[in-house]
Amino acid sequence: MSPDGERRFSQRAERVLVRVLLALRREARPHSADSRRAEELADAILSDFPRRILPFGMAALAVIAVVCAAPLLRDLAVEHGVSSGGVCAVAVVESGLRGRSAEVSDGVDALRAVVAPFSPGLVGGASEALPEDARDESNALPKEASAPFSRS
Amino acid sequence: MLDPETERSTIRRARRGDREAIAELIRAYQRPLEAFLFRLCGKSELAEDLAQESFVRVMRSLDRFDERFRFSTWLFTIGKRLLVNHLQKMRPTADSEVVEYRAGESNTPQAELVEAERTGRVSALVGVALDSLVSPQREIVLLFHQQGWSVQQISRELSMPEGTIKSHLFRARRRMLEAIERSGVKNPEEVLR
Repeated sequence: MSPDGERRFSQRAERVLVRVLLALRREARPHSADSRRAEELADAILSDFPRRILPFGMAALAVIAVVCAAPLLRDLAVEHGVSSGGVCAVAVVESGLRGRSAEVSDGVDALRAVVAPFSPGLVGGASEALPEDARDESNALPKEASAPFSRS
Repeated sequence: MLDPETERSTIRRARRGDREAIAELIRAYQRPLEAFLFRLCGKSELAEDLAQESFVRVMRSLDRFDERFRFSTWLFTIGKRLLVNHLQKMRPTADSEVVEYRAGESNTPQAELVEAERTGRVSALVGVALDSLVSPQREIVLLFHQQGWSVQQISRELSMPEGTIKSHLFRARRRMLEAIERSGVKNPEEVLR
């Protein structure tokens, strides 16, 4: 024991401890003999790689197949009248077309109303709504004027 | 041990399945990990198996490795966890016989014999010294003296303050000195020549 109460160890023990710790350090140093074992283990680990990747590859392929087949499936569904969300796809398409044709016929009526004053043969529609003098004016037009070409 | 930059580039190559990079990582850390596990469990075969298993696990989850940390820290953590799990599963048996650790290559049979005798003695003394340590001290001594980790690195790995690590190291050296004195080594110069 030292005067301050700490235990003193022999120099011999301290030397042994230093040697022990150095030996401990040597144990962890890689040896050239480890190379072959490392190669073997690397091969074993690598041979395991495809087995690990395979499920991910299969899943990716399945996703791609579904994405590519989606338009085909949709067409098939329409053909067979498969309903989507409770509404028949064919009915939706038909009502859309009907709406569009109604708009087109409205447009035709409007054009007819504009053209009517200039075409006496056209009956009904907007020509009847013209004022009296305007109707006379149109009637008073010379025959030559109504004919685009002079008679030979 | 690989320097941090080489380690990072090797890990990147290993992630891509580069066989040589994987072998390089194994070459660098297999022996240190085995030595660490051997000194924790006292069984060389178990240490070897656990080290291999650690490498397999690490390589499998290499994509998850955070490059801010050292590869060795991650590898040793996994190795230690595997050992703890193994010891929990298997009832630990007191291994009083210190297993002689592989001493490396020798050129001639005579040199091999001398080397084995010498390292056997050293190994026995190392075993005596380490057996005197309690659980955290042993690990700290191994990481510091065997693996050459810094106090800071050990502190991070074991989630302990640096002062606590230093204090454990100090107490551990005293315990080992006591154990060496008790072992009654007469002539250490001859034993550890």
